[in-house]
Amino acid sequence: MISTAVKKTFRYLSSFALIVSLNFALPRLMPGDPVKNLIGEDVYVSDLVIEELRAELGLNRPLLEQFLAYIQALLRFDLGYSYHLHSPVAEVLQERIGWTLLFVGVSVGLGAGLGVFLGAYAGWKPETKLSRGLSCGFILLSCTPPYFLALLFLGIFAFKLGLFPFKGFYDTLTLGSIASHLFLPVSVLALFSASRNFLILRGSVIQEKEELYALYARAKGLYEREILFRHVVKNASLPIITLLALDFGFLFSGALFIEIVFSLNGMGTLIYDAIIGKDYPVLQGAFLLIALAVLIANILADFLYAVVDPRVRRPA
Amino acid sequence: MQHNLKKVLIGILILLILNASLGAGAPSSSGAEAKAGIGNETPKVQGPEFQSKGEISEGILAYMQAVYLGAALRPPDEATLSKAASAYLLQLEKTKGSVLKIATPNTVKSASLFGDYSLGIFAHLSNPPLMKMDANGKLVGQLVDCYEVSENNTRWTFYLKDELYWSDGKKVSPKDAEFTIRYYGKKTPSARWINDTLKSSSFSEAENSVTFKFNKPYTRINLEFATYNLLPAHIWEKIEEPQKYIHEGSYVGCGPYFLKRIELKAGKLVFERNPYWRGPMPAFECVEIHFYSNLDVATLALENGEVDTYYKYASSYPYPNIEQLKKTEKFDFLEKTNVGLIFLGFNLKKAPLSDRAFREALSYALNYEELVALETLGYGEVANRGFVPPSMEYYKETEKLKYNPAKARELMKKAGYEDRNENGILENKEGDDLRLTLLVRQDSARTAELLSEYLEEIGLEIEVKNVDQDTWFTLKDDYKYDLTVTRSTPWGMLMHASWGSGYFDSRRSGKGVLHTLEDPAFLQLCDELLATTDSAELEKSAHALQAYYAENLPAIPLYWNRVVTPFNRDFEGWAADPLYGIYNLETFVEVRKK
Amino acid sequence: MQKESRAYKELGVQRNLGLPKESYTLKESGLQKFGKIFKTFNRGGLLLFFFFFFLALFPSLFAPYSPSERFIPYEAPSEAHLLGTNDIGNDILSELVYGTRISLMVGFASACISTVIGLSIGLLAGYFRGWTAEVLMGFTDVVLLLPKLPLIIILGAFLRPSVWILILVLGLLSWESLARIVRAKTLQLRESGYVKSAQCIGFSSFHIMCTDIIPNLVHVILPKFMLATASAMISEASLSFLGLGDPSLKSWGIMLSFAFSRGGFIRDMWWWYLPPGLCITFCVLAVALLGFGFEPKTGVAKKEVVKLQ
Repeated sequence: MISTAVKKTFRYLSSFALIVSLNFALPRLMPGDPVKNLIGEDVYVSDLVIEELRAELGLNRPLLEQFLAYIQALLRFDLGYSYHLHSPVAEVLQERIGWTLLFVGVSVGLGAGLGVFLGAYAGWKPETKLSRGLSCGFILLSCTPPYFLALLFLGIFAFKLGLFPFKGFYDTLTLGSIASHLFLPVSVLALFSASRNFLILRGSVIQEKEELYALYARAKGLYEREILFRHVVKNASLPIITLLALDFGFLFSGALFIEIVFSLNGMGTLIYDAIIGKDYPVLQGAFLLIALAVLIANILADFLYAVVDPRVRRPA
Repeated sequence: MQHNLKKVLIGILILLILNASLGAGAPSSSGAEAKAGIGNETPKVQGPEFQSKGEISEGILAYMQAVYLGAALRPPDEATLSKAASAYLLQLEKTKGSVLKIATPNTVKSASLFGDYSLGIFAHLSNPPLMKMDANGKLVGQLVDCYEVSENNTRWTFYLKDELYWSDGKKVSPKDAEFTIRYYGKKTPSARWINDTLKSSSFSEAENSVTFKFNKPYTRINLEFATYNLLPAHIWEKIEEPQKYIHEGSYVGCGPYFLKRIELKAGKLVFERNPYWRGPMPAFECVEIHFYSNLDVATLALENGEVDTYYKYASSYPYPNIEQLKKTEKFDFLEKTNVGLIFLGFNLKKAPLSDRAFREALSYALNYEELVALETLGYGEVANRGFVPPSMEYYKETEKLKYNPAKARELMKKAGYEDRNENGILENKEGDDLRLTLLVRQDSARTAELLSEYLEEIGLEIEVKNVDQDTWFTLKDDYKYDLTVTRSTPWGMLMHASWGSGYFDSRRSGKGVLHTLEDPAFLQLCDELLATTDSAELEKSAHALQAYYAENLPAIPLYWNRVVTPFNRDFEGWAADPLYGIYNLETFVEVRKK
Repeated sequence: MQKESRAYKELGVQRNLGLPKESYTLKESGLQKFGKIFKTFNRGGLLLFFFFFFLALFPSLFAPYSPSERFIPYEAPSEAHLLGTNDIGNDILSELVYGTRISLMVGFASACISTVIGLSIGLLAGYFRGWTAEVLMGFTDVVLLLPKLPLIIILGAFLRPSVWILILVLGLLSWESLARIVRAKTLQLRESGYVKSAQCIGFSSFHIMCTDIIPNLVHVILPKFMLATASAMISEASLSFLGLGDPSLKSWGIMLSFAFSRGGFIRDMWWWYLPPGLCITFCVLAVALLGFGFEPKTGVAKKEVVKLQ
């Protein structure tokens, strides 16, 4: 058991170290020059100024030196300074994360609830018309490109019916405004999340209900609903935990397409803009954060397994 | 309504009471009378009881200072003031809560007035540059009455308008102008040339003028100064690193509006009427700029009446979407010939595009009529060989570009490009097949599709390379292409020696420019243009330059298009200039509800 | 056995009470096995799939015009053009039919790549436990965490952009989940009697993997392969939307992104933007339905249904 823990820790640590290095390398491998990106499309500056600017950003130093500086800064929890947003990366991330967590978090939560509930039902009674319809609907949904669905939703609910605003997190900073602005993006995202959870849980429940314990519970005379939610769903939820762990990890990466369609300033557009603008520090910071979040979520999921299924706790 | 009326009444009452108490205690010198001469600009809308807006705001100004600063600076004459105040308040009341909303895809990313490119453009409303371009493309003063330049083009003097006030009540002084230009030179990389070439600068309060002396002749200062936002020295001199100055508002400005709030989360900018603005009174209390990351969504918002107009720097409203807006019958369209254009650029440093005869032949291969029809949906016309669109100053009429594939093939043959081995592809003089790379960015993918079809028609093999923005810059700078489709912005057409020369001069480098032309004749033309401010000489050289383009075809303009701006039919008074489209002060002070 | 059961739990794989069922299926002849697999296919899915397959093979039979022929742009559906024309006047139906090949190719080829990689890594990690497994699974984690968009830009810039690059990129970046499933399954199989016996007789590890383990992984791999196809097609459409696709490839994804960028959506031309969207959806549906045919046997199919984001 201890050796497993050591191995696991070592694996996570080394993956993390590798990701940290890749986060440094990948942005720099992209074609394009951050310095030229800082200057407008139709603006002319002399080469001298470009060199000066490069020096100011520390981009004229050899790569190895830049890398060491980056690592040193990281060890001091310093994520650097954004070229384009003109503020410390940590501040930028902090600001964006709050709102991203709000809208993606609510969606993932809703999606998980909806997916688990409907999925459990569809798995328990796969032959009813309702569960067949649900399955078809969710498969169809999971086959749709996200921006397509988002634009359709916007076209129907905001434009044709005029029920919701078109863009932004809010108009005035009130709860009502935030709620009406986030309703559409959250619904779209929640539907996608629900479709995945639905399909997985449905499959799991179909297998689990054939197990002996379900039969035993039935023999004991438990109600169907009780068997489903007390025993079967509990046992079938492990894959959902895996998926949710990934979902929550990737919470921090935002939802690019939804953010573009609904003009939301979240993590997705932050990263996308940074890629387009070659904003290295923002990219490094954001990718680091996502990596950390995914790893931590995975570790937490391991713990959760043990809570949900005591057999996992037992040593081999 | 009742509520609002009540507010006005209370306001007037308070003003009158204050007025009475002030008038009693302060030394009597009639400020309003003394200043009467300044507000002599005749306002468009004039109430029956007051002489000029300038006077009114002067009165209000004094009050504000008296009330908020506790200093009775210019106690005005009571009768004038109360009349003025009530008229002004009525005027304010009439437009209260009125908002002009503009949709834009030019998203502001950070609340840094100095650092964010789009915010810098939007701030023209609150912090207008000294100069501007009028509707005909002529450079005229915006914050200055007039300017003069010394014989040798090294000394420029600008005479500021008198009636300008910052939104915090301070008067705009020539010191602000001097400070602004120096500050830009020191703090922003794109204006570093100012820092490098400005020898000395001075200002005179008496003349209300500011003078800049450069260490070498500079002929384009009047154009350059149409881009730098005027800043209040008393605020910005304390800010060491303006790029890193993140501030959500409000900013002190001297335009008809000042920048009140930058709300990135809500996706908008809010401008509010500058209480000290002395020019014609704008009809709206607020101007809001709304950002849309997706063009389709912006169009939907327009259609729904969420916003009143659309603005994108250096671009038209998307042509395919126009028809839809027309159907709603809620919009009218302002059309203006674009100064910028879409062109087919050549790698003049590499065969076969370095061969003039080849380019000449190629110019007949493109179906210009169809390009105009498909790309601009009729909002454009076939261009001339002279490149420069007619909306530019000193435009010279040159021959129209013609589509004639038979002639193209014939000219190719004459120039020595022939399909000798009959594989359907022309060979160059060495006998190798002509395989050309057409490098394009994603937004011109459709254009590239059409172009490659035309060129394959005359026997060239075209490999279209679709790349993202930055890859395009990199490959372009490494000369790794034969043909490329790119665009020039209005500002791009004007930069360097103007008339598009900045895109070709091999001595320049920059993000969007091709820097491929090193022909001494061309370089000399550029130098001549750069050496004079005399309009006769400018005209002569500009014409020579356009003749050069027509003769040598360093690039082929694919079409000249019009910038189309939809606007809400209920409003009138829109104006557009070639540089910044409808985003100019004229629009914002003139536009009002019909 | 506990360790394995945990692995199954992670994957939602049924815990078998006795020996893995797959060990018996080995005894069947190839033909029988094929027949059995065939039966498990969902008929509707199969029909739909073959329909698209024929479109891809013989587009000229179905398309009324050449996809590059130009008519009047922005036409509404008519008898001459059943789905109207697009912004430069191409017949949309023809474009749709000709786009099938590229879309299917992108889907299947990248799924092949991801399957081969996922299979090899999962197999090795499962068969040789200990440090090898940790290294391989660590590598899997790294790929999972790798920022994908920059990688796509990098590859697109340094290599000549083409359909193959796209396939390579999509394939190289989507094998993580398959690797995990294969590993778990392999962990189970390597404890089974016939593998142990093969080890005792002295067959090489490579031989055992090829003859004893891989055949028993088919049920896991096939559905997963189908789902990877689906996700590749969706990714391609999404990339085009961001302007990172290759517009000269006339795939459904590109059609869709042109429909949005050139005013199709705003002009309410549903006959332009809906068909490619629906084609993607139905194609993915066909592929997914085929995959679900395996459901009762392995249950893995539902696991990672089309990762969208």
